Amino acid sequence: MSTLADLSLVEAADAVARREATSAELLAACLARLDAVNPQINATIWVDREAAHEAAAAADKAVQAGARLGRLHGVPLAHKDMYYQAGRPCTCGSAIRRDFVPTVTCTVIERLAAAGAYSFAGLNMAEFAQNPTGHNRAFGDCHNPWSLPYITGGSSSGSGAAVACAATYASLGSDTGGSIRLPASACGVTGIKPTQTRVSRYGVMPLSFSADNVGPLARSARDCARILSVIAGHDPRDPTSAREPVADYEAALDGDLRGLRVGVPTNALVTLADAPVLVAFEAALSVLAARGATIVRLELPLMDAITAYVGVLSRVEAAAIHARWMRERPQDYAVHLSARLYAGYAVPGAYYVEALAQRGPILKRFARDVFGQCDVLASPTIPTCLPTLAETDIDHGPPGTEQKFMAVSVNTRPFNYLGLPTTSQPCGFDPNGLPIGLQLAGRPFAEARVLKLADAYQRDTSWHTLRPPAVVGEAPMVTA
Amino acid sequence: MDFLATTETMIAAWHGITPPNDAARRMAADLANTIRAFEAARDQMRFEDEPSSFEAALQETKE
Repeated sequence: MSTLADLSLVEAADAVARREATSAELLAACLARLDAVNPQINATIWVDREAAHEAAAAADKAVQAGARLGRLHGVPLAHKDMYYQAGRPCTCGSAIRRDFVPTVTCTVIERLAAAGAYSFAGLNMAEFAQNPTGHNRAFGDCHNPWSLPYITGGSSSGSGAAVACAATYASLGSDTGGSIRLPASACGVTGIKPTQTRVSRYGVMPLSFSADNVGPLARSARDCARILSVIAGHDPRDPTSAREPVADYEAALDGDLRGLRVGVPTNALVTLADAPVLVAFEAALSVLAARGATIVRLELPLMDAITAYVGVLSRVEAAAIHARWMRERPQDYAVHLSARLYAGYAVPGAYYVEALAQRGPILKRFARDVFGQCDVLASPTIPTCLPTLAETDIDHGPPGTEQKFMAVSVNTRPFNYLGLPTTSQPCGFDPNGLPIGLQLAGRPFAEARVLKLADAYQRDTSWHTLRPPAVVGEAPMVTA
Repeated sequence: MDFLATTETMIAAWHGITPPNDAARRMAADLANTIRAFEAARDQMRFEDEPSSFEAALQETKE
């Protein structure tokens, strides 16, 4: 049954501004949807109903008083549980930080609040944001709402599942190797990893300071554009954040793809695709071509080096961050996480510096060879049909499970090394009924362009409007 | 001494950390593939290259 929860983020914000709905009604709809689906999907770590009702009441009071409203006024949101909010729990999905309560609030939550939004829940996630599947030993695995035995993608697992079920209008995720795009792909929603340095990371749990990114998962490219317009921009508290001006990303969504060139790799990313994924991907290209885009087949340079270097960067930085806990309480990590961290301690410093130092030259070569021929690069977000939680469970699976686990993020990691803005949006379903994602990458700071393509695609397709079976009540979800 | 044993010894000496599980040993052993991947990319780094060139490259290659 469709409810206020099924409005898009933009529709919900506009409904509050036009006094067609109250924030209290939006919140009630989201909480009702969450209560209906969460026992199956396990998308939350905590829910703060009392504070949310107070925030909704305050938002509605401001509307009644005729106050000037922000672009997200009265919109309830729930985020991956790694965004610090003073006085609220922030578990980072971990047993180690189960009782952590930060004393500061991160910049992106402050910016969302300044635009009128408020948070009502901390969402499930991979432990310390370090798996591409959605496994979580401390709080329970997050389950894919399209079919419970399958992975949600990670690490922003609860974000993908909750947005897919319309239990929140959007959610902040984080992306170090694909953690926004993978759950967006696996759960059938839209997400964008912005350009490295585009969004402040102050007050956000660190994983890899060279590759961490903050960005939204939402129901559509337009919804992502609105969130990104609010959170992007330089932050004095994060000296690594770029001073590049922030575009009005929503204003760029005009549906016109004439003159735009969409690159399709002939030697990587697409070549890894399973047949059903390839069929959906080629169909998506046809939609873009019908809107006026030109499809250009091209070779990607230096992919072996990129793959080698990106693996070293995040692994070494994560190992350094976790060294004390790895010495003092390694048993409190999931097996898959402590195993990955452990290998990071053996990588020589010279390798790490080489990986960092090669990033600039490789980006320049990639931009010259690829973006000299196309404006946006397309590929499947996850090249294979989606695996199950059991098939990728390193903690309980046989030797060799590591390869299946790592294969999930093979198409997303390169874009973290290159720092490029990259989206994922749904473009079909595999034979098991799990969503397939289309990944679009652009030049640095070309968020407006990749969102424009994503939005144009969604004008002619309906994949992003579909809801999982449990939400629409069509058929029971398969239980593990 | 084989690669894995050397790696475990080195991690223990430099970091005071022991393998937490068998999966950790397998992933540490897999670092041999990382070495091969770096060997394949060897000598691409120039004397003047440094990490800060990445932020400059983001600006240089933007729209």
